Amino acid sequence: MLARVAAIGVVLAVLIAVPPLLGIGWQNAMTNMLIASLFAMAFNLLIGQAGLLSFGHAAFFGVGAFATLHLMLAIEDRSVSFSTPLLPLAGAAAGFVIGAFAGYFATIRSGVYFALVTLAVAELLHSLAPHWDGLFGGEAGLSSMRMPWGGLSFGSTLEVYYLALGWTALSILLLWAYTRTPFGRLTLALRDNEQRVRFMGYNAHATKVIVFAISAMFSGIAGALLAISNETANYSLFSLHVSAQVVLHTFVGGSTVFLGPVIGASVFTLFAFFVSDVTRSWLLYQGLVFVLIMLYAPLGIGGLVQAHMQHWSRLRWPDLAPAYALAGAVGACLTGAVVFLVEALQIVFSPEYAAARRRLDGAWPPIELFGLEWQVFSPVTWIVPSLLAAAGLLLLPHARRKLRESWDGVLERAEAERTAEPEPQLAGAVEP
Amino acid sequence: MHRRPRIPRAKAQPMEFLIISALNGVIYGLLLFMVSSGLTLIFGMMGVLNFAHASFYMLGAYIAYTIATTVDFWLGLLVAPILVGLLGIFIERYLLRRVHSHGHAHELLLTFGLAFIFEELIKLFYGDFPVNYAMPDYLRFAGFTIYGTDYPFYRLFIGFVAVAMFITLYLLLSRTRAGLVVRAAERLPAIAESLGHNVPFVFMGVFGTGAAFAGLAGAVAGAFFPTNPNMALELGVIVFVVVVVGGLGSLEGSLVASLLIGLFSSFAVGLDWSLAGLLSWVGLGDWARSVGGVFTLTLSSISGTVPFLLMLIVLLVRPAGLMGERN
Amino acid sequence: MNREPVLELVGVGKAFGSLKVMEGVDLTITAGERHALIGPNGAGKSTLFNVISGMFPPTAGEIRLRGTRISGLAPHEINRRGLSRSFQITNIFHRLSVFENLRIGVMARHGVRYGLMRPISRMSAINDEANAILERVRLARQHDRPAGDLTYSEQRALEIGMTLATGADVILLDEPTAGMSREETDQAVELIRVVTEGKTLLVVEHDMSVVFSLCDRVSVLVYGRILATGTPGEIRSNRQVQEAYLGEEVA
Repeated sequence: MLARVAAIGVVLAVLIAVPPLLGIGWQNAMTNMLIASLFAMAFNLLIGQAGLLSFGHAAFFGVGAFATLHLMLAIEDRSVSFSTPLLPLAGAAAGFVIGAFAGYFATIRSGVYFALVTLAVAELLHSLAPHWDGLFGGEAGLSSMRMPWGGLSFGSTLEVYYLALGWTALSILLLWAYTRTPFGRLTLALRDNEQRVRFMGYNAHATKVIVFAISAMFSGIAGALLAISNETANYSLFSLHVSAQVVLHTFVGGSTVFLGPVIGASVFTLFAFFVSDVTRSWLLYQGLVFVLIMLYAPLGIGGLVQAHMQHWSRLRWPDLAPAYALAGAVGACLTGAVVFLVEALQIVFSPEYAAARRRLDGAWPPIELFGLEWQVFSPVTWIVPSLLAAAGLLLLPHARRKLRESWDGVLERAEAERTAEPEPQLAGAVEP
Repeated sequence: MHRRPRIPRAKAQPMEFLIISALNGVIYGLLLFMVSSGLTLIFGMMGVLNFAHASFYMLGAYIAYTIATTVDFWLGLLVAPILVGLLGIFIERYLLRRVHSHGHAHELLLTFGLAFIFEELIKLFYGDFPVNYAMPDYLRFAGFTIYGTDYPFYRLFIGFVAVAMFITLYLLLSRTRAGLVVRAAERLPAIAESLGHNVPFVFMGVFGTGAAFAGLAGAVAGAFFPTNPNMALELGVIVFVVVVVGGLGSLEGSLVASLLIGLFSSFAVGLDWSLAGLLSWVGLGDWARSVGGVFTLTLSSISGTVPFLLMLIVLLVRPAGLMGERN
Repeated sequence: MNREPVLELVGVGKAFGSLKVMEGVDLTITAGERHALIGPNGAGKSTLFNVISGMFPPTAGEIRLRGTRISGLAPHEINRRGLSRSFQITNIFHRLSVFENLRIGVMARHGVRYGLMRPISRMSAINDEANAILERVRLARQHDRPAGDLTYSEQRALEIGMTLATGADVILLDEPTAGMSREETDQAVELIRVVTEGKTLLVVEHDMSVVFSLCDRVSVLVYGRILATGTPGEIRSNRQVQEAYLGEEVA
């Protein structure tokens, strides 16, 4: 516990101390990282704690952003006086109200129906917003400006970053506190067995609506932070792509670990910042990573980390290290092959390449990749990814076997420790 | 290039509006049914909600486009569903079956990721813009003329393909041994298995058939409606509304809901109704117009929203869907 | 003993579509009694439990709890009026700890349903009470184990504990000893006897020795109708019951 608090303290210290030393681009990326983290945490209150999978959380993210922009516009034309740092309260309130309304409908049904209804609610807003000028500013959306408050100008990216950091840290703290309350416990019970909850005197539907509204409220805060950071918002905030991002972040990070969504959101947003200048296929890679995690590590990165922490004393690194090294090599080979292929194809099929070919009367100019020039029809070009893929695929079964063997050892030791404990007394046994 | 016929306005030509809108609505509804039938059949049997189902529709359109531009339009219509069906079989056999033990939510997430990948792959190969997938010129003629408006033959053709598909599906389910197993497996998978049927194989077949139907729908409709990387998402969301309204797992429900939503959407496009107009019947029209906002939104401008509103109403009135299970 | 009626069923019937599974069931359970419901498989015992506890409403008749009508209410409303049930198939929170499973019920009894302002760890009354129930069902040693990891008979004990935890004084137990060995059954019966002291109990049970040793009165349900109600002795000697049900076991 102490170690965990210390680790969180170190991370917070880094988040506070480092950004002033970075450029504006980085500060912006880190603001986006915080927003995505908070959004994913809010989303995970539903799927991780209550077991409700929403595909339409963009609705509440967007509602939070629009509500905040309306408040900012009102401040701008001086019809309202409001503290700039407290702007996200508008997003929270709007998220909560719309969340309660949408949640009422969505939680009438459970399972896949729930997922579909949430998706439809977001699409409803997505299709409505461009036509509703007064509320959503039509297709162009709403724009406003951050006003100075209390001696702070809120003009710089860094100030916005700290505002986002404060709100994200506070919100995550509140979400953690939530898990310690009676209602937080009830939420977990609901996830495990809704029927029993009803037969223990709880109104399951009302409970679900409240959880939904709270999740929407924190999503609204995240949307508000985005509105403050960008000073603009339009109907595209309601699109399925926004809802999809939060699903990807959460499950790649791991929905069963409290801070798992933060891991996923941070990794993806920072990675996007790194590579978005280099490749247009970033979303494709995201999708591939997500599907691979779903197939091979269903508990996500957070789940892997947790497994290592849980069994730390039982890990035998002399066994594990070679297995991990081999797995890493296989991963590198396959990643290399896939990235090479995708990037090469992306260039060959791009409109720019087609234009270049027209200029050269249909000849196939070489493509530039990883700082080298490759001839499209030269065997060398395709031998490189083929060799990488072949090496990866050849070693893959071996790597999987080694991983399984070394982890089987760990789990066996854990099982042995458990059974070594004194046999618990049979339930219901009558004491002599 | 005008592919969509002129949308008649309700006030100008009431009869024309009625007939054209009804025809458009039925045909759009049939198209929705081509996609939703596979989705609902797969769900009814396997409990898997395939998020990537509308991607099959998109892939069908793009494959048919590729073949139509390089070889022949009709070959595209034939090959696209076959390839998409094979892809469906692959997904069921090698991906879905892998995560089956993790539960339905996990299967849903996996197909969600696949839908994401398909969309990005299409963008990679074909670009993030519509492609020029069009029917051959000799199909570009009026099926009939009504009130001076030509009704495109190709729209009727889409409807014809959908009806043919529906009949095929019906015959497959009611007349063949495989169909019998499908219907048994839908109700009680364990019993079907104990009777000696290879249920996993049946699942694979149903998944492939459902995918092929969606692929066929894409191949046919893509030549008339725009073919772009968003088409899976746009249609997919409506198809999900269809299955919620109709009741997941019910073929009849999905047919009724498809037609219902097709007709609603089609009529909404041509109607300039607004809440302000409605209120003017009770003398509050001017007040409503002065308030603006939601009161002056016309039905035609929110026609895309209508299916979702319909879904919310159905959820309140009949949570299980029009023809869903009672409990 | 106080003989006032606590749970009354008057002409209760249940039909699924055109299929009538229960008809004209009259049953009165008086305060403090232990009442067994027996009958062959498919007689409608579980349906009767489901109708009483609100899983689905009866299609005919009326159910009263202490004089107030409860038929047609939702399960949580019936529970709050003081009637709690267990399930034939173990119905617990598998991923929560044993203690947490019971605490959820205790929270409901204390009316802390939507508590978001204070941590549960500081609510000592609730924690103490959950611990007390944990002791009573003899699962104290399993305090922190996930409920899903318990043995079958431990889960059955937990199931009974959860039924008690909401503080109801009318307890419905659905085959509490199903699937248990002789020894486990004896322990479970002893447990039920102790924990339902001072409460009213309606129990579905197949094991006749359990019924005759535990219960004050017995009702026999056959084909969705009550065939007879009486003391164990009366039921044992009832010709109709012997023919319809007990047959070879008793006669």
